Amino acid sequence: MTSGDLGLPKPEPLLRVSALSVDYDAAGGDVVRALCNLNLEIASGDSIGVLGESGSGKSSLALALMRLLPPNARVASGSIDYRGRNLTEFSPAELRAMRGAEVALISQEPALALNPVLSLGQQLADVLRVHGKFTRQDVNARCNDMLRQIGFPDPERILRAYPHELSGGQRQRVAIAQALICRPKLLIADEPFSALDAATQAELLDLLLRLKRDLGLAMLFITHNAGTLAALADNIVVMREGEAVARGTMEKLQASANEYVQGILFPEKSLANASQSEAATNSAGPLMEIRGLSKRFVQKRMLSRKQFVVQSLDGIDLVLPAGSTVAVLGRSGSGKSTLARCLAGFETPDAGEILLEGKLKGKNDGARQGPHSRVVVARKWAEVQMIFQDAATSLNPRFTARQIVAEPLEIARWKSEAERTARAMQLMEEVGLDPDWAARLAGEFSGGQRQRLALARALAAEPRLLIMDEALSGLDMPLQAQMVRLLMDLQSRHGLTYLYISHDLNFISLFAREVVVMDAGRIVERTTPKKLGQSVHPATRELVEAGERLHAPGVEAAV
Amino acid sequence: MILYLARRAGHGLLMLFGVSILIFLLFQAAPGDFLSEMKVNSQISPDTIAKLRVQYGLDQPMPVRYWQWLKSSARGDFGYSFAYNTPTSTLLFPRARNTLLLSVPALLISWLIAVPLGVLAAGWKGRWADRLFSGGTSALLALPDVLIALLVLLIALKTGIFPVGGMTSVNAQDQGMWAWLRDLSWHMILPVAALVIGSLTIILRHVRASISEVMESSYMRAAEGHGLPRFKLLFGYALPAAANPLISLFGLSVALLLSVSLLIEVVMSWPGIGPLLLEAILARDLFVVIGAVMLSTVFLIAGNLLGDVLLYAFDPRIRRQG
Repeated sequence: MTSGDLGLPKPEPLLRVSALSVDYDAAGGDVVRALCNLNLEIASGDSIGVLGESGSGKSSLALALMRLLPPNARVASGSIDYRGRNLTEFSPAELRAMRGAEVALISQEPALALNPVLSLGQQLADVLRVHGKFTRQDVNARCNDMLRQIGFPDPERILRAYPHELSGGQRQRVAIAQALICRPKLLIADEPFSALDAATQAELLDLLLRLKRDLGLAMLFITHNAGTLAALADNIVVMREGEAVARGTMEKLQASANEYVQGILFPEKSLANASQSEAATNSAGPLMEIRGLSKRFVQKRMLSRKQFVVQSLDGIDLVLPAGSTVAVLGRSGSGKSTLARCLAGFETPDAGEILLEGKLKGKNDGARQGPHSRVVVARKWAEVQMIFQDAATSLNPRFTARQIVAEPLEIARWKSEAERTARAMQLMEEVGLDPDWAARLAGEFSGGQRQRLALARALAAEPRLLIMDEALSGLDMPLQAQMVRLLMDLQSRHGLTYLYISHDLNFISLFAREVVVMDAGRIVERTTPKKLGQSVHPATRELVEAGERLHAPGVEAAV
Repeated sequence: MILYLARRAGHGLLMLFGVSILIFLLFQAAPGDFLSEMKVNSQISPDTIAKLRVQYGLDQPMPVRYWQWLKSSARGDFGYSFAYNTPTSTLLFPRARNTLLLSVPALLISWLIAVPLGVLAAGWKGRWADRLFSGGTSALLALPDVLIALLVLLIALKTGIFPVGGMTSVNAQDQGMWAWLRDLSWHMILPVAALVIGSLTIILRHVRASISEVMESSYMRAAEGHGLPRFKLLFGYALPAAANPLISLFGLSVALLLSVSLLIEVVMSWPGIGPLLLEAILARDLFVVIGAVMLSTVFLIAGNLLGDVLLYAFDPRIRRQG
């Protein structure tokens, strides 16, 4: 595709996607359909938003449009026409000429979109050089111009820098500069802001709007966050499981009666009803009592006498009432994860007691665990289960979903193989996963589904107490909302007790009955979610203010 | 940087101490010593043997002997060879030079072949060229090094072009500098080739694995999305990003080459450390064994230090930390 055909012979759209389906080959010969009969048209200067939760096929769309699908994926049916020409007819050289110069992609996760060992100047200049002949001065001038346009006051410094020397927001700006330096006609942006804080998001959004106006750019903006689209997109396609479920302007969608559309536009609103029933659950006796729990870590360097003592927990007293949720808030490094690990039995505390229903669970006075047989101890530990922040790493990628969920049952030698499988299926269903997926490998699930899988595994041990260490932080907002709904549902059905550990305040007011704030290994404040905003303690204030700054669900935040 | 290297060198020194103590202990645990062979010989009187034992210091307890060795090492002798009746250093250093003469060219050639070929194989991943390549390296990998050396020798015998073993021809020294050099390189070709074949496959497979891992990262996809050509992607973007583990492998490959080298030297009668070490072990020539093993350790540590320097030069993330 050579340039120069700017004067279009007929009003052909820039890009036309007709009845596009994309299939992925999964393990075991399964075929997973990521996109299903999608239709889309973009004329030059248009901006289209694609809205959907993770796993809805948004990213496959972006990759298919660039013909960058991984080898195990293929276009099953339908076509993509760029300026009236089918993309599959492009030769490799034509494809290269199109990529970057005509259609540019800003891919997910800015931190990972730049080569870590090459200078930014080289990476920026390379894009320019492969699409035309420039003198050294010309390349330099264009790079400087582009960076200045993108909001760097000191482009020379940025050109010499390496990716790890920049912040996430700065890296994303450079990635945008890379995409725009050849003045493409169409920009495909796949969740470009998902890892950034709200202030940076708003800045970059302004920037994109300005560039779109200045360069006459057409844009396909893919996101899960409806807020960003309100300002950016003329037309929005809402996607679910590979299909377009609704399309239209933001106003039209807001008026839509579709539950999925409402859920993704207003993730918090959909939880309001559920929180009422939560308030009704009444206090019972304490499930777990923690008295004077302390833990310190001593670090010693080889060949050095110096010791670094980190007092991670310092005399923690805490009561977890049965059947309710206690939230532990704190900055990273405040000791909340150590608390979770002590309660779950991964760490032995230096001092203090943990009582499970009045019985001593772990006490450290130099002696080892009492004369319990191994099995008794194991069963006692099983009453406390933990869900970790990163489901991707807490699940063995080589295990199938069934193996993962049935593993605690196998360890407990629970009944027969067939009954364990049946139970695993039932648990998957309970956490909202299709039991038909039991044979899929953990790696084939999306982030949110993996966290559900981790939840199903924790539930398999029939715990009384579930400790969630930042269990939702890795998920996007609509998924977090779904998980919270699921957790509240499970709590009322099974009388579970939750210890919810987090550094942000998302959903806490709907979810937790009591909030304790930790700082430097101590509990500095005990309060309720409602009174959190009026707190005067500096550690609490910091968290609340950070929450107000970053908390960005729904439409209002990003405009 | 200087501080970092100094620390690494310090660790290397500590390791040398550890290795030396370990060999002393192992030798102590092994049955017999240099004089046990003589005991069988009826012509040597037990009296002479006892005198020799005192002379060599073999009657002393192990810590004393270790201390003596340390003192001798400080003088630069590194102990005394019982069999050759000279300080170990005079034996060892020419041999070490010969070993380096083989392994340094082999190291460079292996890497010069392995890097481009491995990168291309990663680029062809899944296609027939890559399958052929994987099959080939697997087959070579399965071949024991001894067999490779013997095969190379066989070629030398059959064709008669290359000398069969040895380092120089008998009269080479008399014909002047250039003739001698030509003769030496002519002798080097086969052992170096055997070494390259022996070590190449492992390096190749590592290069291919590292590059194909990097090829799947999101920045490579982003670069492809900017329209960069395939060649540039592979060599300009993937290779620098994959360099980090490969450079660590470079240090390890020194060890790999040395171990293959010892064997090939023995088979092809190259007067390097290999034959000396073998002889010394069989004769229980304690200090020569220790010296040879220590020297290999020094090579290994030097290889790793070189790797650290390269890493510093290549990876901006390490470089900028100072």
